[in-house]
Amino acid sequence: MKETLDYCVQVLNERGVDKFQCSLANKKQYEMNLEGTAFSLIRTITDHTLSITVIKDQRKGTIFVNGVDEQSIRAAVDTALELSSTSQPDPDYDISPKQDMRVFQRGPKEPEPERMYELLKEYSQEVPALFPTIKLMETTFMHTHSVTRFVNSNGVEFMTDTGVYELSSIFASKDGEKSTSFNYSGFSMRDLEKSLLERGSLKVLLRQSEEHLEARPFAGHFVGDVIFTPDCLNVLLHLYAMTFLGDSALIGGTSPFKNKLGQKVADDKLTISSQPVSEAMASGYFVTRDGFAADNVTLVEEGVLKSFLLSQYGSKKTGFERAKNEGRCWVVEPGEKSLTEMISQVDRGLLVARYSGGSPSSNGDFSAVAKNSYYIENGKIMYPVTETMIAGNLVDILANVKEISSERVDFGEGIIPYLWTTGVTISGK
Amino acid sequence: MIVRNLQQYFPLVSQYTELKSQENRILRVAYLQGNLVQNVKNSTRGISARVYRNGCWGFASTPDMTDVKKVIQEATDNAIFLDAREQKGLAPFASDSPVLEKNFGTKKPRLGQKEIMDFTKEVDSYIAGKYPKLSSRQVSLNCLDMEKTLITSDGASLYSLLPRSTFVVSLSIDKDGDTVEVYNLAGGQGQFEDNFASPEDLYPMIDELYEHLVRKSEGVYAKAGLKDCILDPDLAGILAHEAIGHTTEADFVLGGSVATEYLNKQAASPLVTLVDFAHSYNGETLPMPIYIDDEGTEARDVVIIEQGILKNYMHNKQTARHFGVKPDGNARAYQYHDEPLIRMRNTAILPGTSKLEDMIASIEDGYYLVKSSNGQADTTSEFMFGVVLGYEIKNGKLAKAIKDLTISGVAFEVLQHVTMVSDDMSWSCGGMCGKKQMIPVGMGGPALKTKVNIGGR
Repeated sequence: MKETLDYCVQVLNERGVDKFQCSLANKKQYEMNLEGTAFSLIRTITDHTLSITVIKDQRKGTIFVNGVDEQSIRAAVDTALELSSTSQPDPDYDISPKQDMRVFQRGPKEPEPERMYELLKEYSQEVPALFPTIKLMETTFMHTHSVTRFVNSNGVEFMTDTGVYELSSIFASKDGEKSTSFNYSGFSMRDLEKSLLERGSLKVLLRQSEEHLEARPFAGHFVGDVIFTPDCLNVLLHLYAMTFLGDSALIGGTSPFKNKLGQKVADDKLTISSQPVSEAMASGYFVTRDGFAADNVTLVEEGVLKSFLLSQYGSKKTGFERAKNEGRCWVVEPGEKSLTEMISQVDRGLLVARYSGGSPSSNGDFSAVAKNSYYIENGKIMYPVTETMIAGNLVDILANVKEISSERVDFGEGIIPYLWTTGVTISGK
Repeated sequence: MIVRNLQQYFPLVSQYTELKSQENRILRVAYLQGNLVQNVKNSTRGISARVYRNGCWGFASTPDMTDVKKVIQEATDNAIFLDAREQKGLAPFASDSPVLEKNFGTKKPRLGQKEIMDFTKEVDSYIAGKYPKLSSRQVSLNCLDMEKTLITSDGASLYSLLPRSTFVVSLSIDKDGDTVEVYNLAGGQGQFEDNFASPEDLYPMIDELYEHLVRKSEGVYAKAGLKDCILDPDLAGILAHEAIGHTTEADFVLGGSVATEYLNKQAASPLVTLVDFAHSYNGETLPMPIYIDDEGTEARDVVIIEQGILKNYMHNKQTARHFGVKPDGNARAYQYHDEPLIRMRNTAILPGTSKLEDMIASIEDGYYLVKSSNGQADTTSEFMFGVVLGYEIKNGKLAKAIKDLTISGVAFEVLQHVTMVSDDMSWSCGGMCGKKQMIPVGMGGPALKTKVNIGGR
């Protein structure tokens, strides 16, 4: 690997490129698949990604290739130079400044196929035994080992060596003519000690899926409370970051938070951070795509906006500080009440387990179908619902937080609680 | 460069094997507010093998084009690992051995990078110059070439180059503190040179988009509830793909999709015939033409719904055998390192006999829904689509534009309520369908008159 990237740097130097960054990632993935409860496929993938960005006369070009022989590397450098020479100049294009050389290592480098098979077999047997009406649709269990070397012309050099196991499972329930919406979840892990059903939120979601065989349309239209499950809140946090905090929203000027840094944007009870380098994250990352050593970042602290998620380019374009990472790996600080206590205090609302909707408008307005969700009235879950929509504003959702649960789900790529909010329009059929 | 002659490796094969060499080439250029925020090329190429052994599959891939022997061995080992433990004892699949070469690359001289960049910049400059009141504008060019060679040990053989190139233009203006956005897409199947002769060709689309934006900025909120609506072909195509098509993919059927309840029953209005076309319709090549799929099966059209009756599911070899039918070429893979999954190709509702103007005239109080921003659907056929462009229909005429809204419902019910189908048809090829892997698909249709649940606050 070192020789390959060194050759790339040599070609860039030969071509007279004085500002560049390049990285080479070598990936090996080992994957087992279930279709239903039957093993269907084992897949082994070897891949490389050579990424080259050149900046010449303030003009930038980037290429990604997976051919890493000398001829392919020379062709890739020439293409990157052609992309750069034909682009428009922008003084804000840059590469990261000199940083100390760092080596990062985390997770198992080699998969344990026998143990993976054993765990997945157990999953394929336990699910129908514990949840007889569940239909597993697609389950993927994989190990990925990636070794990445990053260098740039300012002398930055990072080596990253990570190994992680990941499981994802999609399922629905069917009993005679009754069938439910599908649901899914997944998680990352570094070891194979625990059974798969003991991790993440799968056990809860599988139970809920069976309960949804008795789901019915909700009749009514009101503004009320919603408790978002950890799986659902995880999705909302991605949408929140993308809509309000990233390069596109701030360079385009569409973020309602563009003048809110250091100001209150959410309820006091809410603290959200992105923790890619935390020991708790099986699926973290150590280096940003623009060549900075990543660090954990608090985005919202007790309701106050502390950081955007701007890249170096976004930072230069907008004048705001560059973020210390590029998001994901969300951690939401827990509250003091349990989910059960929270539900007992809801007058009228929904427990929303899956957000089926697109990205919110740039102002945060959203409308979505509340999938795999339950109607709550007078502190009790009344029944699972179908064909029920929720509409609101993502800024308001986090400004109107009533409680955050004490229990959280560890997805290995985020640690997320239940979140109880209000002011959401709930519409039935 | 992909490996064209894979036949030489078959002496190494002891089980049923698919061998593929593929390269996907991508160019992305994007201007946001005049800033060049994306100027990227991506090339992913390699070799993969998939081996079948007594009901178990093994797959392996490598980017090293010279490692064919190693890939076949790894895939075989993976199949052996599973077979030894699962012992399914299933027979080989029925043999199919179509042979074909299809190259949809341009016959025109290829443009250089500078010419493409200048073209894109000129489109952006046109917008900036003509519409200075915009609060934001984005012009994105996406070009994808998928070139592959596939052979199977049954004797199937395919070489194909499937390109597509699209421009997406997004425009925003601020109105009363809110940002109003619209977007549209141009292009489709074919390389840049075949789809975009001159920047001026895009200006009518941009001018029309701006007109929509202005009207939308003065638009009103749609009223929530079940309403008479006309779904423009863009939305009818998404409904056909997302909300009906996916429920009839046989792997989802086996996973309990609602389509099992409709087979050979009235699933939609008799006005509705829904087909997943392989490659052609009325003699014209469709946006995503598939002639042989990634399992080496010859691709044929699948009539999913015929005059309202659900007739067929879509299959790969394995599910076709399960259901006792022949596969029709729906097993597709996106990258060289992807295994084939059951996917749609070009999914559309067939045109009817009504005129769009008559359909609009037939509605006293409803909506004409034109463009969707996104869509999600369920195995129950329950769906949700964001609608970013639409108009009120009042007393049979188009009235005010409407602000962003969400429509939802149960797709089979929506199709049961279809009372008019327009006699025209249009296709789109801009989207990627996600299902473990992303893959480009085509979708299309006529306009439909039906009842749709309008979401609202």
